[in-house]
Amino acid sequence: MEIIKCPSCGENNTSDMEFCQNCQARLQPLTGPLKGEDKAIKPGQIPTNKSTAELEPLLPKWLKDARDSARTGEEEKPAQTSSANQMPAQQAAPKKPSAPAGDFLSGLQAQSGDDEDDEVPDWLASITGDTSKPKSAAEETTDTRWVEMGNRNDYAQEDAAADADTPSWLAGLQPLEPHTEEKDELTDWFRTAAEEQKPSYQDPAPIFESPVEQMPPAKPVDDTPDWLRQMAADAEAKLEPVQADVYQDAPEFSLDAPDWLSNLGGAAMESKPESAQPVKQQESTEFPLETPDWLSSLGSVEIESKPEPAQPVEIPLETPDWLSSLGGAEAAQMSEEESVVFAESSLAGSEAEEIPSFDIPDWMKSSADDAKPLQDTTPRWLREESNLAGEPEVPAWLSGTGSFELSSEKAEETPAQSEDSEGIPAWLKAAEPHHFIEETPAAEVGPLQTPSAEEERSRPFNAEPPAFEADPTATEDLFTEMPSWLSDAMEQPSSSTPTAITNTDALSPSELPSWVQAMRPVDASASQPASLSSDQTLESRGALAGLQGVLPAVPGYMPTSKPKAYSIKLTASDEQLAHAEILEQILAAETAPVPLEVFSNLRASRSLRWLISALLLIGTILTVSLRTQIFASPSGVPNEMRNLLFISQSIPDNAPILVAMDYEPSRAGEMQAAAAPLLDNLMLLRAPRLTFIATNETGAILAERLMAGPLAVHNYTDRVSYLNLGYLPGGQLGIRAFAQSPTLAAPLDISLQPAWETPPLEGVIALNQFAAMILITDNAEAARIWIEQTQELRGTMPFIIISSAQAAPMIQPYYNSAQVTGIIPGLQGGAVFEQYNASRPGTARSYWDAYSLGMLLAVVLVFGGGLWSLISGMRERANAGEGK
Amino acid sequence: MQGKVNKMNIPLDLLSGVLSFLFTILILSYLIGDNPLFRIATYLFVGIASGYVATVIWWQVLVPRLMTPLLPALNSDSLALKIFVLVPWLGMAFILMKISPRLSGIASLTMAFLVGAGAAVIIAGAVTGTLIPQFEATINFFDRDLAAARNIDFLEVAGNGAIILAGAVTSLVYFHFGARPQADGSMRRFGLIEIIAWVGRIFIGITLGAIFAGVYAAALTALIERISSIFDFITLLRTTFGL
Amino acid sequence: MRIITAVIAIATGTLILLGYFFEAFTDIQTLLLNWAVILAGVAAIVGIFNLIAVHADKIRRAEKGSVYSALLLIGLVGTLLVGMLLTPRHPVMQLLLNGIILPVEAALMALLAVSLLYAAIRLLRRRTDVMGIVFLLTAIILFLGSATLPFGDMPLFGTLIHPWVTQIWALGGARGILIGVALGTLTTGLRVLFGVDRPYGGN
Repeated sequence: MEIIKCPSCGENNTSDMEFCQNCQARLQPLTGPLKGEDKAIKPGQIPTNKSTAELEPLLPKWLKDARDSARTGEEEKPAQTSSANQMPAQQAAPKKPSAPAGDFLSGLQAQSGDDEDDEVPDWLASITGDTSKPKSAAEETTDTRWVEMGNRNDYAQEDAAADADTPSWLAGLQPLEPHTEEKDELTDWFRTAAEEQKPSYQDPAPIFESPVEQMPPAKPVDDTPDWLRQMAADAEAKLEPVQADVYQDAPEFSLDAPDWLSNLGGAAMESKPESAQPVKQQESTEFPLETPDWLSSLGSVEIESKPEPAQPVEIPLETPDWLSSLGGAEAAQMSEEESVVFAESSLAGSEAEEIPSFDIPDWMKSSADDAKPLQDTTPRWLREESNLAGEPEVPAWLSGTGSFELSSEKAEETPAQSEDSEGIPAWLKAAEPHHFIEETPAAEVGPLQTPSAEEERSRPFNAEPPAFEADPTATEDLFTEMPSWLSDAMEQPSSSTPTAITNTDALSPSELPSWVQAMRPVDASASQPASLSSDQTLESRGALAGLQGVLPAVPGYMPTSKPKAYSIKLTASDEQLAHAEILEQILAAETAPVPLEVFSNLRASRSLRWLISALLLIGTILTVSLRTQIFASPSGVPNEMRNLLFISQSIPDNAPILVAMDYEPSRAGEMQAAAAPLLDNLMLLRAPRLTFIATNETGAILAERLMAGPLAVHNYTDRVSYLNLGYLPGGQLGIRAFAQSPTLAAPLDISLQPAWETPPLEGVIALNQFAAMILITDNAEAARIWIEQTQELRGTMPFIIISSAQAAPMIQPYYNSAQVTGIIPGLQGGAVFEQYNASRPGTARSYWDAYSLGMLLAVVLVFGGGLWSLISGMRERANAGEGK
Repeated sequence: MQGKVNKMNIPLDLLSGVLSFLFTILILSYLIGDNPLFRIATYLFVGIASGYVATVIWWQVLVPRLMTPLLPALNSDSLALKIFVLVPWLGMAFILMKISPRLSGIASLTMAFLVGAGAAVIIAGAVTGTLIPQFEATINFFDRDLAAARNIDFLEVAGNGAIILAGAVTSLVYFHFGARPQADGSMRRFGLIEIIAWVGRIFIGITLGAIFAGVYAAALTALIERISSIFDFITLLRTTFGL
Repeated sequence: MRIITAVIAIATGTLILLGYFFEAFTDIQTLLLNWAVILAGVAAIVGIFNLIAVHADKIRRAEKGSVYSALLLIGLVGTLLVGMLLTPRHPVMQLLLNGIILPVEAALMALLAVSLLYAAIRLLRRRTDVMGIVFLLTAIILFLGSATLPFGDMPLFGTLIHPWVTQIWALGGARGILIGVALGTLTTGLRVLFGVDRPYGGN
């Protein structure tokens, strides 16, 4: 059982304990599983290495490149790692079980070997010294490592004291053991950076006097993180030719002294997500002299809090501890933090300026994307923790690099400007151009020395008046430009009372997938889906190089120049004008009135129409006016009339007969001529009681007209010998209703008097009680309805249809099926029946000559005209065929 | 008294004759061509005919079937009578909503009632009044016993029946428009159906020819009646005014 | 609303249809039919209101032919007022029928005779097929069979061919048409009763 010394109180604890048994400080890192998106990371949960190789494509390009280069560089940098082993090697020993805890990139190392083919970013490749070298074939464990760039063993520290006392995030930055072959290059360049930072400590920038002075004297010991050392070295190398200004000095300060951290005044920090050690541990006396001032000045408050102010206690465990610890900053230390912010901002800015754009990881570039260095120096993923307005709208944890353009050419041409601090944090200083690292042998990297305030003042660059120092009001301005995450950290009420998290249940689980959480340095996972959007365009240039889908615009979308002005005047060529003229001619031909070819036909048809009219009118007028009876009455009795000739013999005297009127006034002449003989015959022989009912609106009056016309000789009296029930609405509905219940369907007569108590309807309450039913209609449809709806209700009584000639053909089938007793078809039927009506003169006979003449005329016209039409039509078709 | 009536009837008959003569001439003027007089006559006719129909409906439907029974029903204690009378009132209220475009949807309630009733009536009527009797009549042509009972030569009846059967069947097939697409993209009926339909076309032609002749006969009769009415009017004028 | 109307239509139709075949439903059938008779008359009134609205709108817009529309409305309103004051059986109303309605309709029908002949003459010019020829031949045969000569019926046509064509050949086609119409109405009615067709509308 290994023993872990509590970073807070120094109490020894067993390695399986999560919290110190003495001070309840966290001993184990706050991590979570990498897999299982549905599971949240819970406090105290030891993350397990997960196979997230399938997630590799989702990673930002810079990260993939970093991982690839890390593997590649493992074999390339053994010397550097061995030489940069200032940090106690034994520090990593007890942390090995916990070190691989899920930081924000944990588990990514377990990707498949195919990832080795991924392109290594230049800046990473340059750091490692060789980008074209194949990656190490050594198997990588799935243990989580910080930034996922080295093997778990990479964190092995040589200094056993530092193992226990150095914060885990610093421990992870310790030089690798020489024997480690699976180390990552990043650790090397971190270490190199630390070595390079050494000289810079001797040149303290006066502009950072204030923060630096507040920091305790730094001890240049080897346990300073490599990347800090390298930053210092880089700053020293670069600052010499650079004119001193506000931003020029920033790198120097930031090399080793993240003042924004040092001024937190007791704010606990956990630079590594997996490092659950409180800041107190970092502040322990075991921190060697090389410990930077900012580390020395770290508050003793042990806090593991998320920078989110709203959740001071429920910190997402994936948040880097060093950042989470900021939440414990005391509000009273605000002034110090302002300086820290300024320092960090300026440092970051200068670093960003130095680094060519293609070398800077986007998430690092993002911190320096604005013209105002102090506003935008903080990475977006840090600034998002605050509520400051005006932040660049860039993917969160990649932090608005869209507007910030850093070109390598610019950096090379203006090295002085490259020194300008644009806000990259000191811990990002390691992202310097590779040539700095390469040019600095590992052996030359001295121990990291934290410069004192005096040393900083003595730097040659101090000759230049520090801009920010001279401005006493800068403090206030700086505060406004302070990174939001720091502002939030100060505003967190819980940060004022930092306590060790002892109750893991108090932490609410995050809803984000663990792997996403693990990839983010802070709570900026919302930006990650941006790369998963439909726009998977891989940015190859600029600050977003290596990212997918962060810019929705299509390349080249934005106009690069003023839109070209086009004239609204139509300019057409001669050929186009000629075509337009042809089109106009075609349209004119289409719209021009064309003499109708059929005009002659129209005139001919009008002549024919006049001819037909004249012939018909002349024949009719002559025969009617002369009252001729030249043509013989029809003698042939159709079959449908044979039963009717003697119908009077089957009807008793004074029997009720129903007469249904269903014809239009237009056929009144024909219908009266057809119906009068039969009715006259019946009235003459049987004196039946007639009951009229109409199924069209004019039928009732036409019945009156019939009775007052050809049948007036019988002197039938209304409501005595005949009854008019009037109009029965509803068509077939009314007919069915009447057939079903006559008394209910037609209770009143046409005079609105009760009908069924009158003599004509005496003894009749149902349809089948009529002696006969006579339908006078000009409509075959009406006849069909009457036949159908009275089919089973009329019984065996005679059903006679006096129809128009036009309806007779369609009523014939009903006579053939014996549903109708007989049919009197129009004028011809009336003329026939008149001959069997006691030789009484009738209307039909008066019409017959004209009728016969009109029929013969029709025969002549239709036959002759038909032949002429047939021949002419054939001739036209033949001509048309010849024409074709 | 009798003379007074005759004097009254004579002016009415005369006026009726004048109007009849006038409107007949106006309409027959269409034989020369379309003219405003013809249009005046037709529009006036439509208006008067519609007014006449409305009057008939008012006096023959609304008054006797809706208004007259209303008061007795309301005063009656019989709920059945009230329902019997008030339901048509409700239906009328609904159907009059059709006049308003906004409320016309409510009229569909009454229209649904009418359509449902009409559907039932035409179903029963078609089955009991046409289909079954017509099928039976077609079959009876080939009933030897029936022919003997009617004392009709069976061969004559069967021969005629065969023609009628062929006409009925082929006519029905003629109205069968199911077709299949051909290789050339055209649509054609099945071969046997096509032949039968061709025969049915002849029967249909004969039937339509008979109807055409009947329509012409009716129109000719109407022409004769109109010409006759004109001469009757002239005769009336001569007798009335002693011309 | 659509469901309600469908239920009304189906229920009404079913009850009335049952009345044809079952004695127990005769009374309800009679009741529903009498209601339907009344409502059908009211529906005709709605049609007349629509006619008034259309022509009144024409007059309001002063469209071409609005004078004729004015005449129509004058005739309609005048007849309606007179008819509501009097009765359809009144001599004045009979005068309108016998003096205007009947002559105009009959005269229009008379014009049809000319149009029919003209159409028959021109038929074969545009359509020379079996059906057209048979159509005209049948018409000519029936014309001949309907006419008489001064000495009697048309030989052969009046006594033999005309009855044979009308009572046998034309009967065959007419029966086929009737059966087809009956089948069509049966199908239509069933579709309404099954709610497949809803010609009554409803939202």
